[in-house]
Amino acid sequence: MAMEMRLPVARKPLSERLGRDTKKHLVVPGDTITTDTGFMRGHGTYMGEEKLIASVAGSVERVNKLICVKALKTRYIGEVGDIVVGRITERRRSAEDELAMRGFLQEGDLISAEVQAVFSDGAVSLHTRSLKYGKLGQGVLVQVSPSLVKRQKTHFHDLPCGASVILGNNGFIWIYPTPEHKEEEAGGFMANLEPVSLADREVISRLRNCIVSLVTQRMMLYDTSILYCYEASLPHQIKDILKPEIMEEIVMETRQRLLEQEG
Amino acid sequence: MEEEMHTDAKIRAETGAGSSPRGPGCSLRHFACEQNLLSRPDGSASFLQGDTSVLAGVYGPAEVKVSKEIFNKATLEVILRPKIGLPGVAEKSRERLIRNTCEAVVLGTLHPRTSITVVLQVVSDAGSGAQLLACCLNAACMALVDAGVPMRALFCGVTCALDSDGTLVLDPTSKQEKEARAVLTFAVDNVERKLLMSSTKGLFSDAEFPSSAKLGPLPGSSSAWLRPRRLRNTSSASTGNRCRGVTPRAETSWGRGPLPPPPPTHPLQPEANQRPSLASRSYGLM
Repeated sequence: MAMEMRLPVARKPLSERLGRDTKKHLVVPGDTITTDTGFMRGHGTYMGEEKLIASVAGSVERVNKLICVKALKTRYIGEVGDIVVGRITERRRSAEDELAMRGFLQEGDLISAEVQAVFSDGAVSLHTRSLKYGKLGQGVLVQVSPSLVKRQKTHFHDLPCGASVILGNNGFIWIYPTPEHKEEEAGGFMANLEPVSLADREVISRLRNCIVSLVTQRMMLYDTSILYCYEASLPHQIKDILKPEIMEEIVMETRQRLLEQEG
Repeated sequence: MEEEMHTDAKIRAETGAGSSPRGPGCSLRHFACEQNLLSRPDGSASFLQGDTSVLAGVYGPAEVKVSKEIFNKATLEVILRPKIGLPGVAEKSRERLIRNTCEAVVLGTLHPRTSITVVLQVVSDAGSGAQLLACCLNAACMALVDAGVPMRALFCGVTCALDSDGTLVLDPTSKQEKEARAVLTFAVDNVERKLLMSSTKGLFSDAEFPSSAKLGPLPGSSSAWLRPRRLRNTSSASTGNRCRGVTPRAETSWGRGPLPPPPPTHPLQPEANQRPSLASRSYGLM
């Protein structure tokens, strides 16, 4: 069986090849953002001697009079109402917990839930508010940086290509086959373990590779961008999507379609 | 997915140092940095300088033990692991120097009652202690940036050696270090090129230490970090090598004399002089 190997190589940023000026003001800690004192300072900045100085490495974002620096890589900070996907690593060993939860959720299960409250030290408490949350059955998990998941009204999407996706705000993305009918009675605690058909598996693999290529080019992830990327990747074989040159081509096409759609 | 920022930089002085025997001036050996290598820490970086290479990982801001917590700022912890053997006194001393440097730049007041841990692992070591310290400082800074820890400024570590006739060599090799009369390691910040930390070993005079023109209190809300004091000649002959680790809070000393060459521009800003000036970046009010 022939195997292809690639060695790591420095890649050019996508914007250069597109030939457009990104107009992003990139800063590192200690850089002066502006000497105008009329601005309010947001996250990632501090005031020093009549100047606004950046405290993290990232791009400057301005909303009216508020200037903040969005760091390139951030840890996930929970907010009430976020959807998160995660794996149970540890659980409380108390009597009520044993009675109530053991039957449904075990250690090692993958679940989707919503953030109910945030504690002062950063910990979040989750709840499965309705039956659409709960244990996740068969599918593929992709871990990306939390800053790449766009905040939307809903994070559960049924894509027309034949699979569904849950975009967790914490960067965990779950791709699974669309269930044929909504099983209201079973609820979110019974995992569907029926075998998945080859067609569905191919769709899921292609979606996973598309998401990986979008993340490599640092594009925001939301249902439209994933769908356009999927459609752009159809001419290629699934395993070819991860090759750098094909990845760039697909993402460029996705970018163009998104710009056309906006403009 | 991994994001790699490979920055290979070679900085040579205009006087044109030769390829193998480097003359005096601002010539540094090859150095490279890579970020976001490790998946578990919040930030990680690998820094390679000459023959020395250090891997750094930053965890934080995270939970801190009640015994170690500080009510109004973050507790910074540095752990340095040598390439072979267990960590000893030399590692503890370097950890303290690196910790004090990091504490001077990290905005700890934004994360009170948390801990920020920097773990440094020596991957390859040319055998020179001073080079290792500079490499550790650089790796720690890059890892802190990768983790998104808010900092007042970036800092870099640089080593220089003074040989017997007073010429200053930047980034000395092990051989040059052994033959030198004094070896000095500095940590400098990128905002105003002020000195954050200096660690010296050997004999040198007032005049040879950086001039007072470039040193002074750190900018911002901090009070005067450095206070002037007359320099005492540190002798290395009889007492062995006395390493003076000077922290920003302690007293440091400077004298008058020629300024050593400016430290290299930071790897993240190789095109610093080509970036548009502030005037062209106007954030006009709408």
